[in-house]
Amino acid sequence: MRHWPLSLLLVLGLPVLAGCQTSPSVLPVAEPAPSAECRWSSDTASVRDRMRRAMEALEAEGFTVRDTDPVLGLVSAERARILHGSGDLYDPWERTSLFGGYGFGGRGGFSSGISVGLGGGYGSVSRDATRLERVSLVAAAEETRVSRDSQLIDWRGEVHETRSASDADFCRRLREAMQAMPAEEASS
Amino acid sequence: MKRHLWVLTAVLMSLWLSGCATTAPPAEPRELIFETPPELTLETAVALLMERGYVIRHADGELGRVEAVLARWPGYNVQLSVQGEDDTSRVSVSATRGGRPLAPQTLDPLLVDLRSRLGLFL
Repeated sequence: MRHWPLSLLLVLGLPVLAGCQTSPSVLPVAEPAPSAECRWSSDTASVRDRMRRAMEALEAEGFTVRDTDPVLGLVSAERARILHGSGDLYDPWERTSLFGGYGFGGRGGFSSGISVGLGGGYGSVSRDATRLERVSLVAAAEETRVSRDSQLIDWRGEVHETRSASDADFCRRLREAMQAMPAEEASS
Repeated sequence: MKRHLWVLTAVLMSLWLSGCATTAPPAEPRELIFETPPELTLETAVALLMERGYVIRHADGELGRVEAVLARWPGYNVQLSVQGEDDTSRVSVSATRGGRPLAPQTLDPLLVDLRSRLGLFL
C-alpha cells in the first residue's frame, strides 16, 4: 500500500509517454496517391511559357500565386474560400438570439462573452470555416506534374480536415485550361 | 519513507511533463552524396516528392532548396537541399511532423528511391 503513488504513476504516466512518442517509421505518403491525370507529357512550349499558362489558369480559378521558380518550372499557389453558413457545423455550442449571441466551450478551448444588439441571427457570419487549397505545378522539360491538398479550418484556426486532393477532375481541368490557352495570349 | 516516495513522484512527474512541453529542437538532417549533377538530383527529388503527394510550397533551383508539405494529420514538412558541382550532389533532407522533428532514419526510404531513380545502385 505504501507504494501506491508509484503504481499510479505507471498507470497514468505510461499512456502519456506513449502518446508523446508516437511517430511513423517512414516518411508518409498521400492517401490516396495522386491521380495519373496529375502528370502529363509536356508540349513543345518552353518552361516559362507553361509556367505563365499555369499561373493564368490558376488565377482564373481564384488561386493566388505564392511562389515561382523558373529553374525547376515551379508554380506554387493557394486558394482560401469562406464556407458561408458553416459556422454552426464547427461550433456546435454556439447559440444566437435576437439580441446577440453567447457561447461556451468548444473543441479549441473556452470562450465566453455577451454581445448585445439587433440582428443577432448573423452571429455565425464571422465564424464560418475556411477551405484552404494548396497547389504546386512543376513544368519540367519532359513532364508536367501537379499536386494539391485541401484543409478545412474553423474561425479559431483549428484544422478540422486535412487531406491530399490531387484528384483527376482538378488536374484534368487545369491541364485543359492550360492547353486551351494560346501561347501568344499567355506571353502578352 | 513515505515522504521520499512523494518527492520521487513529484520529480518524475515534473520530468515527464517537461519532456512533453519543451520547444521542439531543429530537425536533424539525413545527408548523402550522389554521383550525379546537382540540377538533375534536385529535379528528380522534386518529382519524387510530388509523386508521393507532397505539395511544393517554396523552391529555389539556383540555391538548390525546396520546402514541401503533406496534408496528413498532424502535418508533415520536408526541407530538401542539394548542393555540389559537376557530377557530385550533396543531398540533405530533414522533416517535421506536427512541428516536431522526425528521426533521420525515417527519410532513408525516400533517399533509397532517389538513388534508384537516378540510376545509382547500392
